[in-house]
Amino acid sequence: MSYLQFVFYFFSALTILSALGMITVKNPVHAVLFLVFAFFNSAALWITLRAEFLGIVLVLVYVGAVMVLFLFVVMMLDINIAKLREGFVRFLPLGVIVALAMVVELGLILGAKYFQLAGHPQNQSMLPNTEALGNVLYTQYVYPFEIAAVVLLVAIIAAIALTLRRRPDSKYTKPEQQIAIERNQRVRIVKMSAEGKSK
Amino acid sequence: MIPLSHYLIVAAILFSIAVAGIFINRKNLIVLLMCIELMLLAVNLNFIAFSWYLHDLAGQVFVFFILTVAAAEAAIGLAILVVLFRNRRSINVIDLDDMKG
Amino acid sequence: MNDFLFFLLTVGKILLVVVPLLLVVAYFTFAERKVIGYIQVRIGPNRVGPRGWLQPIADAVKLMFKEVIIPAHANRFLFLMAPVLALAPALAAWAVVPFNDGWMLANINAGLLYLLAMTSLGVYGIILAGWASNSKYALLGALRSAAQLVAYEIAMGFALVGVLMASGSLNLGDIVRAQSGTVFNWYWLPLFPMFMVYLISGVAETNRAPFDVAEGESEIVAGFHVEYSGMAFAIFFLAEYANMVLISALSAVLFFGGWLSPFDPVGVRVPVIGPFLGDGIQWFLFKTAVFMFLFLWFRATFPRYRYDQIMRLGWKVLIPVTIVWIFVEGLLLALNIGPWFTRGL
Repeated sequence: MSYLQFVFYFFSALTILSALGMITVKNPVHAVLFLVFAFFNSAALWITLRAEFLGIVLVLVYVGAVMVLFLFVVMMLDINIAKLREGFVRFLPLGVIVALAMVVELGLILGAKYFQLAGHPQNQSMLPNTEALGNVLYTQYVYPFEIAAVVLLVAIIAAIALTLRRRPDSKYTKPEQQIAIERNQRVRIVKMSAEGKSK
Repeated sequence: MIPLSHYLIVAAILFSIAVAGIFINRKNLIVLLMCIELMLLAVNLNFIAFSWYLHDLAGQVFVFFILTVAAAEAAIGLAILVVLFRNRRSINVIDLDDMKG
Repeated sequence: MNDFLFFLLTVGKILLVVVPLLLVVAYFTFAERKVIGYIQVRIGPNRVGPRGWLQPIADAVKLMFKEVIIPAHANRFLFLMAPVLALAPALAAWAVVPFNDGWMLANINAGLLYLLAMTSLGVYGIILAGWASNSKYALLGALRSAAQLVAYEIAMGFALVGVLMASGSLNLGDIVRAQSGTVFNWYWLPLFPMFMVYLISGVAETNRAPFDVAEGESEIVAGFHVEYSGMAFAIFFLAEYANMVLISALSAVLFFGGWLSPFDPVGVRVPVIGPFLGDGIQWFLFKTAVFMFLFLWFRATFPRYRYDQIMRLGWKVLIPVTIVWIFVEGLLLALNIGPWFTRGL
């Protein structure tokens, strides 16, 4: 087995195992961590396909930001786990059957001769992956790129608008009001004559 | 050398696991969202594998856009989930029957 | 056989980086106590060994022999995993740091991206520590710290975008080479706002004073690591200091020309000390040490920020500054305006 093959089988096995872990564990926090692990391993798989930019971006964006968000939400919500697990056993056979059927069908199709492209393509461009991707992203795909940016902007605004709430019952200070205070609003200086020597 | 079909089969297995996850965790909204992320991951693996074996960068560009859209989807999905939990004290799919006719 | 040799060589190189790094971290804690001591007109540790030089070793031995207490109902596996997750990215990031021309563990194209990815992983150790401890203070500290890290990571990422625009490369070696010339070609001057943002967000990323609300001993006792003791605590400590050393080294590489000498090319002609004034690893180490000193100086000087102030600084000041400067830099590059941005697009 060559080194590349070893890396491929190692990381695909880990990816699949952690995906299995994700759908079967009880605690949602553990499920999130399994998914993080799956992302990590598939980033390694992508790097074996020389997609180093996307592999690193997967770690940066998904593992470093999106999954942190998931973890945040899962930790903050006080969920009744037992209730959410109802029906797990009942639907387990159905889930397994459907999944197995899909794997077998897809395996049969993908095992056919049309998908047996092997070996490494010869005329891959010699540019580093990041540069090559940047070259097409900012020329040929520049409009989709801008639209993707708009999608993200909309998502930011939507997420903030959805979760923002003013709570009139909670007490908080307004720093700008505190800073804007003037001396004579707090202290009154009273002029009075010294005591003792009254006229 | 690893043939293309190996990558595709790994992706197929991942996708099927995600489908099975949707079946068996059908009450838990968070795990459902995570299963969708897993499906997108499987699809992305396919795109990247094809991109490498067919010498076409378009596959990677597409993965880039999928990542963008999936991040936006996750952010909004979680925001909806948080709002839902605030109003309902539950994220059980069964409890979301307000729109039932 | 060749593969095996390559493997051994790589392990050797990794040890060559990690062992001195851990030593530096150990003595950094000593330096911190000494420097802050002198700033506060005290002497600092001076009992263990000559002038207190063995203090870090005594500390390490003490921590090793203490019991690791796992709180009741804590998640045992994650509780012990969290310190490792905090330390691992801080060490892994060193793979792409160039010590001298060509001296790096992995000469990869996407080095800067790799660095960003690794620093973004540090947050997991903190969140998991907070959650697995099954303690309110720990969870609060973890949430504060996670929100802070995510916010400042954006500013830091944008600052690095500025560097990559100026140098036209993601490889850290190439970034240093792009800064060659005089001291004024180093990116601290052309990218001065980026440098300031990077430095501030670097301090915030490492959860150091004045941004150490995640620990905030006066409000939430010690934040995410309240429940930790013994070696588990020591590893968190190591991670924090290793992160500081990393941020210092990166400031030296990205904004202060890494191994480049400020006296180049005149310095080399000076007799006797000439070789030391030329480019070399000594400059990298010196610059890193200066930034490490800055971290200690900040801690001794500034009072702690309030949490909302930290968030305001991150989102409303640092990120807009970087966006504006990226725009300005883009204009300068596109219009080929000197004296720095004449590389062209």
